[in-house]
Amino acid sequence: MMLKCIDVCKTFGEKVALNHVSVDIPKGKIFGLLGPNGAGKTTLIRIINRITIPVSGQVLFDGRPITQDDVEKIGYLPEERGLYRKMKVGEQAMYFAQLKGMSAAEAASELKKWFVRFGIETWWNRKVEELSKGMAQKVQFITTVVHKPSLLILDEPFSGFDPVNAQVIREEILRLKDEGATIILSTHNMESVEELCDNIALINKSQVVIAGGVDEIRRKYGNNNVELVYTGHSVIKSVSGVFDVLSDEQQGDRHICVLSLEEGSDANSALRNVLEQNLTVNSFKELVPRMNDIFIKLVTEGV
Amino acid sequence: MKLRNLNIVIAREYLTRVKKKSFLLITFLAPIFLAAVAVLPSVIMFMTEDKGKKVAVVDESGIVMQTLTDNKTMSYEDFSQQPLDSVKACFSKEGFDILLSISPLDSSKTVSVSAYSEKPLSVDMKDAIASRVNDALEDYRIESYGVDGLKDIMEDVKSDIYVSTYTVTEDGQEKITSSEVYMGISLVLSMIIYMFIAMFSGMVMQSVIEEKASRVVEVLVSSVKATELMFGKIIGVACVALTQFFLWIVLTAVLVVGASAFIGIEQFGPEMAQEKAQEMMQVSGVDMHQMTAAVENTGLEVVFSTLGQLNFGQLILGFVIYFVLGYLLYASFFAAIGSAVENEADTSQLQMPVTIPLLIAFFIAFYAFKAPDSPIVFWGSMIPFTSPIVMLARIPFGVPAWELVLSIALLAGTFVLCGWASAKIYKIGILMFGKKTTFKDLWKWLRQG
Repeated sequence: MMLKCIDVCKTFGEKVALNHVSVDIPKGKIFGLLGPNGAGKTTLIRIINRITIPVSGQVLFDGRPITQDDVEKIGYLPEERGLYRKMKVGEQAMYFAQLKGMSAAEAASELKKWFVRFGIETWWNRKVEELSKGMAQKVQFITTVVHKPSLLILDEPFSGFDPVNAQVIREEILRLKDEGATIILSTHNMESVEELCDNIALINKSQVVIAGGVDEIRRKYGNNNVELVYTGHSVIKSVSGVFDVLSDEQQGDRHICVLSLEEGSDANSALRNVLEQNLTVNSFKELVPRMNDIFIKLVTEGV
Repeated sequence: MKLRNLNIVIAREYLTRVKKKSFLLITFLAPIFLAAVAVLPSVIMFMTEDKGKKVAVVDESGIVMQTLTDNKTMSYEDFSQQPLDSVKACFSKEGFDILLSISPLDSSKTVSVSAYSEKPLSVDMKDAIASRVNDALEDYRIESYGVDGLKDIMEDVKSDIYVSTYTVTEDGQEKITSSEVYMGISLVLSMIIYMFIAMFSGMVMQSVIEEKASRVVEVLVSSVKATELMFGKIIGVACVALTQFFLWIVLTAVLVVGASAFIGIEQFGPEMAQEKAQEMMQVSGVDMHQMTAAVENTGLEVVFSTLGQLNFGQLILGFVIYFVLGYLLYASFFAAIGSAVENEADTSQLQMPVTIPLLIAFFIAFYAFKAPDSPIVFWGSMIPFTSPIVMLARIPFGVPAWELVLSIALLAGTFVLCGWASAKIYKIGILMFGKKTTFKDLWKWLRQG
């Protein structure tokens, strides 16, 4: 485990922000930290960053209690982020890199590499106030990752980017993962969670509601539905004890239907039964729920 | 606190400010302005002198004209034989600047005087004329009593005391001083330190608000501790202030010396002062006796003697110590206030408890230069919230060492305490958004931190 939060509690006056929260973040993986606004995600992230101190509980970094020195190994892109508007891009990036423990020479050469990679070398001497929001976000991303952090915490990293640049950032995140970084991704964009995350934890009302592998969770919340696309002269019928036809929609000469597998049945026996009905099967696939649906279900049912 | 991070923060705060155009502009323009203020009065005196005015006099009393003698500024010509109206019609064409008409003596041995001129008469001119006529009338009246030697008696009776002030050093040396010079120095010092403390701690607050409003702050505190950030900022701005202060001293000195060399150094010398005073005397007709006494003791000589006795090293050291400590105290307050708001408009209410003591200090300092040893000034120079400004106003008059030590110790101790409390508020405040902060919130943060 790269990072372990054990039984972390935090209160602000009367308000409980985190209630016995434990999460395990495996090394070299992308970990999605999900939850509605005000659930306590930012508080947990701030505790990991040692910006706030928990009332009780422990944070283990690489197996031992986290110290202020470990903070240099973390790269944090907060949701509420910004740059000094009046400062030049290059000077500013140098400042952040040095605060993360890099020497001036090292910072300059690493930053130059990143600027070239993003094609923004010409911005070095420009003031931040001259940049567009998307441009500033690129600079901000570089300042987060330039010191080669072993743990990256990205809070809504795609906000402010157009689809093209969001894709660039997505690829960079995957590349950093391949290079061995552990990444905590906090976002409301469930598509990127499905695409990027290996594991997630969902926090709602100061507590962890669910945690685990993304595929595992999606399967767990799947209600055993399959999607069948077929062509044929007859219409598919439910087979009792095997499956139930929930919907059947005709598009041209093709039918798209959803079958609900009954208790004790599985996909194989369902497919066998479909074939017996003399239909031409175009596709047959397990219907896994979207993360989005799981998120909404858990958060609204949790009320 | 990590020294490395603190240094990086200090360097950024310092360099971004010192490299600004406005810093350079103020640093180089202010001494020019100051030097101008120092040199200007003597320049103006030179330029505005009335010279060679020709005065036509119609003296119907018959006693004034005979006492009027020509001098550098005015020369008189008698037109008493001609009627006033005809002189009035032609005096300017004849090349006279002023027509002076003196009525006949009335029963109470007095005259009325009218002066006519194309351009309005200057105040100096008017005063000079009045005093000439007064002198002539006085002489006439004395004589009219018919007592022998009355004039000499009157002269003898006149008394005009001027108090010369000396300071006596421990080894018994007397030195002539001017209390006005001490007052001036005291006033200027307290004004400068007030300005510096208010300006630079305000700068700290602005910078805290800027970081919060632009949302840089959360990125920052994930790399440095909030206390490192706050004290780095405060120290960085202090370095800017000290840089500016020393540049000002150097530049002002260079400019004053340069300017006086350019205008002619003797103008500042004692002989010049005496000569000047005599000229002034002639213009205004002030009594010679009286004036010499004044010249001897209030001339530039005394100012320079007093300035020469002032221990500038001590003054500068005093300024630096009290500025640094006073600034640290107020800047930490202002940093805490800045952390609690999201934009400058919201600061006014929270600022009040901090700006009021600063203003009170300024008013006490105003009193200090009149009565440097009064109780209110003494306490003002001890209480840490007012002491930087009030004590500095006292220093030119001399302050016992124990008072200085006590006042500095109290100030430093208060800073440690308040700096610690401000850091607690700051730490929480910088990450608070949305709700408008009240004093109750500040108190809550202080206990939470």
